[in-house]
Amino acid sequence: MLTMTNVKKVFRTDLVETHALRDFNLQVDEGEFVAVTGPSGSGKTTFLNIAGMLETFNGGTYQLDGKDVSHLNDNQRSRLRNEKIGFIFQSYNLIPDLNLFDNVDVPLRYRGFDAKTRKQRIEESLEIVGLANRMKHLPAQLSGGQQQRVAIARALAGKPRFLLADEPTGNLDSEMAQSVMELLKNINKSGTTIVMVTHDPLLAKQATRNIFVKDGQVSEIEDVIPMHVANA
Amino acid sequence: MLELGPIFRALLRNKVGAVLIAIQVAFTMAIIVNSVSIIYERSQETKRPSGIDEENSFFINSSGFGTNFGAKATINKDLEDLRALPGVIDAVQINAIPVSGGGWSMGLQTEPGAEHDGIGLAVYMVDEHGLGALDVELLAGENFTASDIRWRGNAESSWPDKIIITQAMANRLFPDVDYAQTVGKTVYINDNEPMIISGIIDKLQAPWVGWNNVENAMLSPEYLERDAVRYFIRTEPGRRDELMKTVEEMLAQNKERVIDGMRSIEYVRERSYRSHTAMIKILTTVIITLTIVTSLGIVGLASFSVNRRKKQIGIRRALGATKRDVLRYFMVENFLISTVGVVLGACLTIGLNIVLVNALSLTPMDWYYIPIGMLVLCLIGQIAVFGPAKRATNIAPATATRTV
Ligand SMILES: Nc1ncnc2c1ncn2[C@@H]1O[C@H](COP(=O)(O)OP(=O)(O)OP(=O)(O)O)[C@@H](O)[C@H]1O
Ligand SMILES: [Mg+2]
Repeated sequence: MLTMTNVKKVFRTDLVETHALRDFNLQVDEGEFVAVTGPSGSGKTTFLNIAGMLETFNGGTYQLDGKDVSHLNDNQRSRLRNEKIGFIFQSYNLIPDLNLFDNVDVPLRYRGFDAKTRKQRIEESLEIVGLANRMKHLPAQLSGGQQQRVAIARALAGKPRFLLADEPTGNLDSEMAQSVMELLKNINKSGTTIVMVTHDPLLAKQATRNIFVKDGQVSEIEDVIPMHVANA
Repeated sequence: MLELGPIFRALLRNKVGAVLIAIQVAFTMAIIVNSVSIIYERSQETKRPSGIDEENSFFINSSGFGTNFGAKATINKDLEDLRALPGVIDAVQINAIPVSGGGWSMGLQTEPGAEHDGIGLAVYMVDEHGLGALDVELLAGENFTASDIRWRGNAESSWPDKIIITQAMANRLFPDVDYAQTVGKTVYINDNEPMIISGIIDKLQAPWVGWNNVENAMLSPEYLERDAVRYFIRTEPGRRDELMKTVEEMLAQNKERVIDGMRSIEYVRERSYRSHTAMIKILTTVIITLTIVTSLGIVGLASFSVNRRKKQIGIRRALGATKRDVLRYFMVENFLISTVGVVLGACLTIGLNIVLVNALSLTPMDWYYIPIGMLVLCLIGQIAVFGPAKRATNIAPATATRTV
């Protein structure tokens, strides 16, 4: 359902050209839980941004659900992102001025759902992450783990086919990280395809597939993470 | 999707800037709307007709001296000469000039006795040529005849027994009677001295343009028997300037007197309304300045809040907001601030108007100034916020993942 063929991404500044992705090839099938690892600066976030249509790319093709998205304009990409993709970020990225209810509401409003549908979905997804009783709280009143759960609820509320997570446990201690991981595994079991970037080999191991990114390319695809990657 | 609720709740968490801008909008509205109302009132006043043929009229002063100078004889000869000049429609000796700023006023009352209040009016002393020279229309009654005109000496304190008044004055004196029916009625001057209204004219303003009773005037049938007198001359259209020269030269031939102070009515009108014109200019400057300052305030607050919320905007974009959604967010937010501002502004506007009406005896503003002012200020806000909001739409969605 996600197919990247020879995708290239070049960042140009006045001084340097950075080839963040070079001939990046990857196929992710429906229902997979893919963990992406790799050294810092290898292009993991770049890959995720392109997969989520947050950034454009310079060459190759990217098909999402069988549809070539390279030629979509900004508006169409926003729509598609809103409909098909849920994002989870390392630093949670909740909107500090809004309470949990309004935070989860954000993507639903852009989707154009009516108030009743939105309310129902917000309550449902906050229920899934176990924070339904905190709806009127502000993000600052929650722990990091709880905030990331709200972010997951926000990503889930629109019922996306795809969940993209960039180091979702990077700011959490191992216990909280594991509980977030359990949540993601459950979400995956109920049918959502997940691609997660992580530095933690123990978490990566729990995914259904591991890929290793190095120098802007997928260098290895393994079902079980090998030791030399874990030490990298 | 207007997002009113979340935008409003988010605003409540960052009140200070928004509240300050709302207050600024409120004060700006109060001052602008009152200024516009004053400007409108003043500019209407400057456009009021005085009733006379301003374009084609002028006046000139003559001051006699020397032992051989005879006031009566000079006045008679001057009037005869002036009226005989080709191009002169009519000329009169007069004590004061409409809209000039200087003149005589008296009070008239419908009942005799000091216990009754008189209604103020301007007094113009003219002979039977007054109507023609001043270009006023007789609506009812009769003009003076030559035999009605008396000579008023320097020490004279009594008044003639008939007068012609303006329609506005007739309506003030007898509010319940049609003005035409006031001809023949007796009114009292100096508390007890009776005068009969012999005619009604359409319009003749007093010399003082800011006076409440500016439309009240009377013609009194008399010549002033004095050495220093004034003549009012009305010419055929387009011949005023030419005749001003001719008249000056003609009157100057009599070496027993000095001729001076010749002015066109256009000149005195401009001079009389100069403070109005100045006030209009000042208030216009105030309006423009305030609009700019308030717009800058809005631009400043919006730019600041766009910068502060860069990350948040990136997150919204990542969650599916289009550029239009981002633009709308800031426009709606500004609209909410403006709405609070103009509601507060409406109260301030009314308050300020009440103060101004009492302090400067203005007429209260029309109600529709308020909703129009509210709309205009909201519009100014929307225009001012557009630039920063447009910049916000250029924040990349990747801001969500690229910055911490
Ligand atoms: N906006 C940008 N402008 C210029 N270079 C960039 C930009 N974003 C990323 N890069 C460069 O592209 C390369 C890939 O970056 P990317 O963020 O994808 O790495 P990453 O694998 O996510 O690293 P990390 O594990 O540290 O998050 C890096 O060399 C980075 O410096
Ligand atoms: Mg990264």
